[in-house]
Amino acid sequence: MDLPGIAQFVHDTALSEWLRDSLKAMPIIEAIHVMAAATVFGTILVVDLRLLGWPSVQRSFSKLHHELVHWTWFAFAAAVITGVLLFVVNAVTYYGNTAFRLKMLALIFAGVNMFVFERVTGRDEAAWDKGPTPRAARIAGALSVTIWLSVLFIARWIGFTKGYDFSIPDDVNLDLNFGQ
Amino acid sequence: MFLDFAQVLGGTPLSIWIQSHLWVTPLLQSIHIVMIGVVFVAVLMITLRVLGRVGNEETFAAVWNRFSPWMWGGIGVMALTGLVLGIAEPVREASALSFWLKMSLIVIGILGALTFGRTLRPFAYVGDTQFSGGAKAVAAGTVVLWLCIIFLGRAIAYDVEVWGSLHLGPVESSLR
Repeated sequence: MDLPGIAQFVHDTALSEWLRDSLKAMPIIEAIHVMAAATVFGTILVVDLRLLGWPSVQRSFSKLHHELVHWTWFAFAAAVITGVLLFVVNAVTYYGNTAFRLKMLALIFAGVNMFVFERVTGRDEAAWDKGPTPRAARIAGALSVTIWLSVLFIARWIGFTKGYDFSIPDDVNLDLNFGQ
Repeated sequence: MFLDFAQVLGGTPLSIWIQSHLWVTPLLQSIHIVMIGVVFVAVLMITLRVLGRVGNEETFAAVWNRFSPWMWGGIGVMALTGLVLGIAEPVREASALSFWLKMSLIVIGILGALTFGRTLRPFAYVGDTQFSGGAKAVAAGTVVLWLCIIFLGRAIAYDVEVWGSLHLGPVESSLR
């Protein structure tokens, strides 16, 4: 089965249909998604600003990172679960949406940046744990802030570009020729 | 009364300008959401320090002084972007019960933060401060309050679905 076929299959599942028909499910799922995304971004921002050395480098990076990373992953898990549910509701539309694809691409970039930092840049963390960070760490921090800001901005654009799935009431006469 | 005012506001040149430039609303909403992240995590960090979960090697004052400017700055930017978003769609906002509940909770949140900072200041410079159960409860309640504010912000778009007949405008006027 190709990707459009998978999107159609997901769209046709009972879960997708139930979510579309439920009045309360969508606002609750969307709200949890926003809470989770805000927490992911905010906790990552705190760590990134420490990497950038702004406004200060007073705190131990490893301690700060250790304190926050659990919150980031917990919120990220909530964002993924709610994000999957939002995708399931309208899989075919999301699959064809450019902003959605750009968001997924940005998330991959964020993952690659994090992986490179953990495996390469962060290996000599002890050397700069309680002081100014090296250039590679500052670059990783700047990239991370930029990528996660992109994720949030692109995510909001999805809502304005995916179109709306609503039916026009029978008694409404839409003048699509604008009187001509 | 508010709905009448909202209808007048919706006809002003500024409102019409925002409505006719389709990039303005998503851009402002994006900035608004970024600021939610900044404010919520600033509140979370201060709360976790009160609960003894982060920054225990620092004084409460150090944590408060680090994060409270972000909290206040973020609230300021959210107020500005929220104001312009309200001018763009005043009837939608004014007819949503979620909007008025959100505004009420924001006022409580701001007053609570002001009171919280002042109340804890006498203890702020003690390195290993152990906060009372009451202070911890208020701190945890503050996080719940901001989660409710985020929920209500998203619920404005679903006001009829969430509140049913409690929605303040005509039921068919609720748009996503």
